Amino acid sequence: MPNMVTITVDGARIQTPEGTSVLDAALEAGICIPNLCHLVGVEPIGACRVCLVEVVEDGRRRMTASCTLEARDGLVIEAHSEAVMRARRNIVELLLAEAPNSRAIQDLAVRVGVKAVRYPMRNNTCVLCGRCVRVCDEIWQSKSLGFVGRGTDRHVALPFNKRPDLCKRCNNCVEVCPMTITPCPGPMAEPRICGLCESQLTMVENIPDTCVWCELGRGFQCARWQRRGLLSKV
Amino acid sequence: MTLSSGTCGQASGSLAVLRALQQALEEQGLAEKVHVRVTGCQGFCQEEPLVTIQPLDVLYCSVKPEDAAEIVAESLANGRIVERLCYRDPLTGRLVTTAAELPFFAKQDRELIGRNQFVDPCDIRDYIAAGGYAALAKVLTQMDPEKVIEEVKASGLRGRGGGGYPTGRKWEQCRVAPGCEHYVICNADEGDPGAYMDRGLLEGNPHLILEGMAIGAYAVGARQGFVYVRNEYPLAVEHTRTAIAQARELGLLGERILGTDFSFDVKVARGGGAFVCGESTALVASLEGKVGEPRPKDVHLVEHGYLDQPTVLNNVETWANVPPILLNGSGWFAAKGTEKSKGTKIFALTGQVKNTGLVEVEMGTTLREIIFDIGGGPVNGRQIKAVQTGGPSGGCLPVSLFDLPVDYEALTAAGSMMGSGGMVVMDDSACMVDVAKYFLRFLKDESCGKCVPCRLGIDRMLEILTDISEGRGRADQLGVLEELAWTMSVGSLCALGKTAPNPVLSTLRYFRDEYEAHLNERRCPAGVCQALRSYFIDPELCSECGVCLDTCPEGAIVEDRPFRIDEMLCKRCGLCEEACPAAAIRRV
Repeated sequence: MPNMVTITVDGARIQTPEGTSVLDAALEAGICIPNLCHLVGVEPIGACRVCLVEVVEDGRRRMTASCTLEARDGLVIEAHSEAVMRARRNIVELLLAEAPNSRAIQDLAVRVGVKAVRYPMRNNTCVLCGRCVRVCDEIWQSKSLGFVGRGTDRHVALPFNKRPDLCKRCNNCVEVCPMTITPCPGPMAEPRICGLCESQLTMVENIPDTCVWCELGRGFQCARWQRRGLLSKV
Repeated sequence: MTLSSGTCGQASGSLAVLRALQQALEEQGLAEKVHVRVTGCQGFCQEEPLVTIQPLDVLYCSVKPEDAAEIVAESLANGRIVERLCYRDPLTGRLVTTAAELPFFAKQDRELIGRNQFVDPCDIRDYIAAGGYAALAKVLTQMDPEKVIEEVKASGLRGRGGGGYPTGRKWEQCRVAPGCEHYVICNADEGDPGAYMDRGLLEGNPHLILEGMAIGAYAVGARQGFVYVRNEYPLAVEHTRTAIAQARELGLLGERILGTDFSFDVKVARGGGAFVCGESTALVASLEGKVGEPRPKDVHLVEHGYLDQPTVLNNVETWANVPPILLNGSGWFAAKGTEKSKGTKIFALTGQVKNTGLVEVEMGTTLREIIFDIGGGPVNGRQIKAVQTGGPSGGCLPVSLFDLPVDYEALTAAGSMMGSGGMVVMDDSACMVDVAKYFLRFLKDESCGKCVPCRLGIDRMLEILTDISEGRGRADQLGVLEELAWTMSVGSLCALGKTAPNPVLSTLRYFRDEYEAHLNERRCPAGVCQALRSYFIDPELCSECGVCLDTCPEGAIVEDRPFRIDEMLCKRCGLCEEACPAAAIRRV
């Protein structure tokens, strides 16, 4: 039996085994902290910064990603404070402007309350969440994918742009990609949050930041989907 | 005699001067009697190469190879001063013969950089003769590690790389952290544009850093140290390697140092030129052979650093401060500086000032003193407008704040930061939007691209700034900039992303009028932003010589009476302005 620690997330006291990340603990308890690069079973890298939370310590607040934050006894977390939601909204807005055609990111945007995008849309297909890279490396021990380049040149590529022998074409990288969880039929008619497919934007317009049963959640094994028993039907 | 020959000196031709001096000594039969000491940078980079002659105590500036024979004949053989080569105060015209009288040096407290003058970086005997390794000997024989940490804590020394974390506390945390091996690392991956303090120290006096590291290693219980230096500093790499080899030979590094039970060795690791590798976690990743990317900071290096072992990582200047503190006591160090920032700090003063170079001042000196008294004020009779401190992620401070003391807290409160100590002075020819754009472009290239706020945030900020500077800006974009800046500062993974919006935020805070002029009037007050300026020909001055007709690549000059510029064709390159012999073409 592992040591249990108690943390407080949005006022709820959660018991979780030592060494769990705050994000996992919260999701397990049904508190949805939106996330993108997090993937059950692989090391967190804290790249997308969507799962930002505030750590309250001696009255001081510090923002950090919950996926890389290890649960310690007595940790007090604010996952839905004003500042957190604002930062999260801005970050998802950046992601959405980068890859507007991803249904997963659209859902995420709706979930965190992005109403409009203030930047010119780009039609990129990758947001560098690194899910494929880590699955390939950590689950399949294949290292057939990796990050190449720095800054805005960063992209995911095969070693020397050739498919290595270690790659067994398991297709796992494609399965975990947020662009393919449910690909949007796209292209969008207008550069705005889609609304063409059955995005729940209209549904939650008046009550932002509620669970929209996002497709992303299903792909990410959100606790709510698990409880509904829908995961098995995917 | 001493010849300064750091990277800056060599760029000014010090190696040719050295050959000429040696030849002159040879010819005049003085080669046996005179020792030429080749030192690192002495700080006054503007007037390199510098030649000092003892015991005459005279300083010659900007020495050329052809001056060598005269110097040897006059000063060395006859003991006379060659006035032609001495520094002349540009304001008073007074002749300055000694280094101590130099106005550039007078207001400084050259505790660390001043040592460069007495040390040949490739000769350990010079360093020992100047009192080197005495602190290490004292520490190893008279103090236990706890005492060393206490002493450093009491001195109030804080990290000179920019963060300002108390060094003593860092060492203590590392000492108590469990691990089978402890490491110390010296961060010499200095990448800020216009900053070269660490280079000056490491290539001018490598033993000082090695001694500091050995003391640190003794305090935290490390047996292995690394100097992570960027490969663009070949001289620093070479000098550090030579210094390590010499120290090993004399038993000052290696097994059982000075006959005690303490063993410690240092390796040089060369960085591949990524700015982000100056960030501590990225540096350690790079040292381990991984991709140089930062990792989340919730786990500290002092517990899980190099190879997951407790590691102390300090900046070159921090290490350099250690030996004097241990030798002279913490009280000596703590007596200098302000309440929370102690000691001295080296700045690389560059940009639009008369005297550029490495400036070491006591903490608490005001920016005005550094820029006007030491730096000598603006060049070409222009007005100084702002100073950019702390490298690309620092901020621009306006003249009205020049009475701010150099102090970690004061600079941070003003929206800039101490950083590693770059100081770029800008005069009224600089457009602040363009300056912010320049630094963002640098950061865009140097961001590792791992986390979203930094990668996409910088990209979008640059996009907006480009819009503004090219006349496509909208008034609401300033709000977007501020919102983005806030998101980046709270949400980014490492300090690079967290501080990246500083250039934009500080210029928005102090020079908002310039942004508004770009946005509302489509005008660049400094006339820098190409798309927003236009040229006209003053008919009063124009002599209709036709030079501009030949110069303009676009054929935009219309040969009317008088000449005029076709606004539709003009690409605003400014070639005609430069070419016009009558200065009739003006920028508006």
